[in-house]
Amino acid sequence: MIAPLSDAGALGPRGVLVAGFFVGIAFGACLERAGLGSARKLMGQFDLTDLAVFKVMFTAIVTAMLGLFWLSRSGVLDLDRLYLPETFLLPQLAGGVIFGVGFALAGLCPGTSCVAAATGRGDGLAVVLGMFSGVLFTGWLVPAFGGFFLSTARGGFTLPSLFGVPQGMVVLAIVAVALAGFAASARIERWAARGRAGA
Amino acid sequence: MSDVSLLRRSHLVLAAIAGLLALASAFAGSAHRASVGTIDVAALARDIEREADHVTALELAQWIRDRKPGLRVLDVRTDSEFADFHIPNAEHVQLRSLATLVSRGDETLVLYSEGGAHAAQGWVLLRATGFTRVYFLRGGLLDWIDDVMSPVRAATVSDSAWAKQAALSRYFGGVPRVGATPMLPAASSGGKAGSAAAVAKLRRRGC
Repeated sequence: MIAPLSDAGALGPRGVLVAGFFVGIAFGACLERAGLGSARKLMGQFDLTDLAVFKVMFTAIVTAMLGLFWLSRSGVLDLDRLYLPETFLLPQLAGGVIFGVGFALAGLCPGTSCVAAATGRGDGLAVVLGMFSGVLFTGWLVPAFGGFFLSTARGGFTLPSLFGVPQGMVVLAIVAVALAGFAASARIERWAARGRAGA
Repeated sequence: MSDVSLLRRSHLVLAAIAGLLALASAFAGSAHRASVGTIDVAALARDIEREADHVTALELAQWIRDRKPGLRVLDVRTDSEFADFHIPNAEHVQLRSLATLVSRGDETLVLYSEGGAHAAQGWVLLRATGFTRVYFLRGGLLDWIDDVMSPVRAATVSDSAWAKQAALSRYFGGVPRVGATPMLPAASSGGKAGSAAAVAKLRRRGC
């Protein structure tokens, strides 16, 4: 786990692991509750007949983003101490493509595959096994592609720095997109279902 | 009221809360809280006049070697500059995070940058946020390199003062010289072998 809980020493190294365990359980429970442990449900996202993934993910993003913004603004949280994953443009684009192909093939992503496996779904277990073999295989490949893995490094790269606007403007834009998406989701789902029925 | 319309209403309320918070974020602009500090201008000016605002490279070297209790050396340069070379035991901090620097109790802070300007500005910021025992390294890392890592004996320096300075320099892996062009240490105390090149890069132009 990352700052502020671990760096500030509010939780020791063991406390962080315990907290991580419970946060993970809560995350999985929310995914299952939203129905995202089912590959069938997730595939609805790809043909737009069921936008549950979009709605769940953007609800999480909007909640976390507004929470971080206002906790930081009120001085409770130091954003500078949060771990910001570094950007490596090309390798992450390639990774995204592989991830997307795997997602569409399996119908599950890493988090939802664990949820599917935990609830006893066979496809979930298969995806988890495939995912961990992929992780091992990639680890084995890294030395051969070392140069590529570290190419096009952009450091801690964020939307506000990319567009040169204050963080608050990015927050507003993302929340606006999310709310518009939520409002339009039922219409999009009906439209996609009609398209499928007609095809 | 039916369950469906109740659910719909709660969704609308949540969406409205998110929308309002997002609008407020846009007006707030930065996620960082404005840090307001106060400066006693006259007191700061007095400290500057009596030169109680800075330390020299040799003083700092002595403090580090003598393990001065509560000493914290803060490097305010960029990540890559810090990774290339830094004064032993220095912590890396960004100028903008000085506003939220947490005191560890009874401590003496020494800020340094490449030439000294940023560190001197950081000194004012830290004084404004309430730190009292703060200094900056006069002449910055460039002075550290000239006076500690590769000092050259000046004609006016006494034998005993030079012996002290040379010993201090060797403690940090430096190469003291008498009269000759200073040579850089093969591997300085910056931590890794490549730091000699980093030191060379940092040396004052024209030296």
